[in-house]
Amino acid sequence: MRRSLFLAILLACGLAHSAAAATLRVAVAISLKEALTQIAQNYQVDTGDHVVLTCGASGQLATQIKNDAPVDVFISAASKQVDDLAQDHLIDPATRAIVARNTLVLVVPAGAPAAPVSFATLDAPTITKLAIGDPQSVPAGAYAIQVLTALKIADRLGGRLVYGANVRQVLTYVEMGAVSAGIVYATDALQSADKVKVVATAPPGTHQPIVYPGAVLATSKQRERAGRFLTYLGTDKSRKILAARGFIVEAPAAGTDPSTAPAK
Amino acid sequence: MDELWSPLFLSLKIALAATAATALVAVPLAYFLARRRFLARGIIEVCILVPLVLPPTVLGYLILLLLARGGYIGRWLQAWGDYSIVFRFEGAVLAAAIVALPMLYLPAKAAFGNIDRELEDSARSLGANRLQVFWHINLPLARRGLLSGLILAFARALGEFGATVMVFGWQPGRLTLPIAIYAAYERGDMQAAAPAVMLLLALSLVLIVSYNHLATPRGE
Repeated sequence: MRRSLFLAILLACGLAHSAAAATLRVAVAISLKEALTQIAQNYQVDTGDHVVLTCGASGQLATQIKNDAPVDVFISAASKQVDDLAQDHLIDPATRAIVARNTLVLVVPAGAPAAPVSFATLDAPTITKLAIGDPQSVPAGAYAIQVLTALKIADRLGGRLVYGANVRQVLTYVEMGAVSAGIVYATDALQSADKVKVVATAPPGTHQPIVYPGAVLATSKQRERAGRFLTYLGTDKSRKILAARGFIVEAPAAGTDPSTAPAK
Repeated sequence: MDELWSPLFLSLKIALAATAATALVAVPLAYFLARRRFLARGIIEVCILVPLVLPPTVLGYLILLLLARGGYIGRWLQAWGDYSIVFRFEGAVLAAAIVALPMLYLPAKAAFGNIDRELEDSARSLGANRLQVFWHINLPLARRGLLSGLILAFARALGEFGATVMVFGWQPGRLTLPIAIYAAYERGDMQAAAPAVMLLLALSLVLIVSYNHLATPRGE
């Protein structure tokens, strides 16, 4: 009796799975985790398609994609990773669109007594450890190095840098008070507003614009469905979620149907 | 080439320091626990042996919980000396020493336990005090077990990754060999990790051959 019930449930699950819902695999820069989780839930309600998110450092995700990870959509925190994949013909260039933008901030532990007040003074002796993302695999780290280099203090930080394997690890180091300061996205700082304090925003012009390009993978077996998800990210509903999480999204032009005009 | 030698020297330094720290704790403990039975013995032994089965990341977590800024002990260190073990050499040594502890403790305890008590009694009847008995009877007789334990402890400390990466982190220019391998993987540059992998393989082979050489009784 119990066994047949179990079998029936298994069967029902199997049928439901094969009949309606497709599963989309979306690899996404970890800074977008909360916003994309929320959008993916909406997407499932609206279309029935199930979205599975893989979050990580963009460089790490790009490596996984190069190593044949089954991914339908990739959203990176910098153009570099998408450019790399485009060069290897791993993405469909026609689908490439900017999903959101971000800013870079300097954060310190919430209770820090002697906090630095600007990027330019990060070489002060009070900064014993500064956490940034690994510049090679973590876009937030690459932007951070650009800022430090532009302000001519990168060389003076010597042994004081600590790398995070992704931007959220940098945030964790600051939350724990393990480092004097960290460089993360404004949206990450917002995620942890009770544990970290934003003391400065990276001066404009000191780093490349922080954009999140998304693209459908050339290797995806369901490119059309994947394209629909990418387009969905440009809808008003999705943009509102991104904006609420602190991302910069362009307001949809009045009168146009946002679902056909992804943020470019 | 510095990308290989600097991690090698850091790893060797950490492993040597950790092995020394382990010896200071494990040898006396093994000596007493092999010979005495008392109530807390079981509890002490569980604490020494648990790193053998616990995932190193759990140890790393516990070290951070206790010793990081704001941790149960870390908050005192912070208040007294503005000291935090995180990202420091001592932190890496502590992590490596804890995981290496059982590797030395177990062979040391077996070695001390196998010593004929009558030898100690005769030494004492000839006027040797406890320290002399330990130094001239127990230590030489347990030599083989202790040395093989030291080799195993050193090997374990040298390869420590899980707890170390949590406590010591990923600091540019201050990578241990296992963390250098992880960093290369994280960057999708597997080739960069190859020299470190080869080096660790070679070191491990040397260590295990010496261990086998020591552990096999000769001339019997």
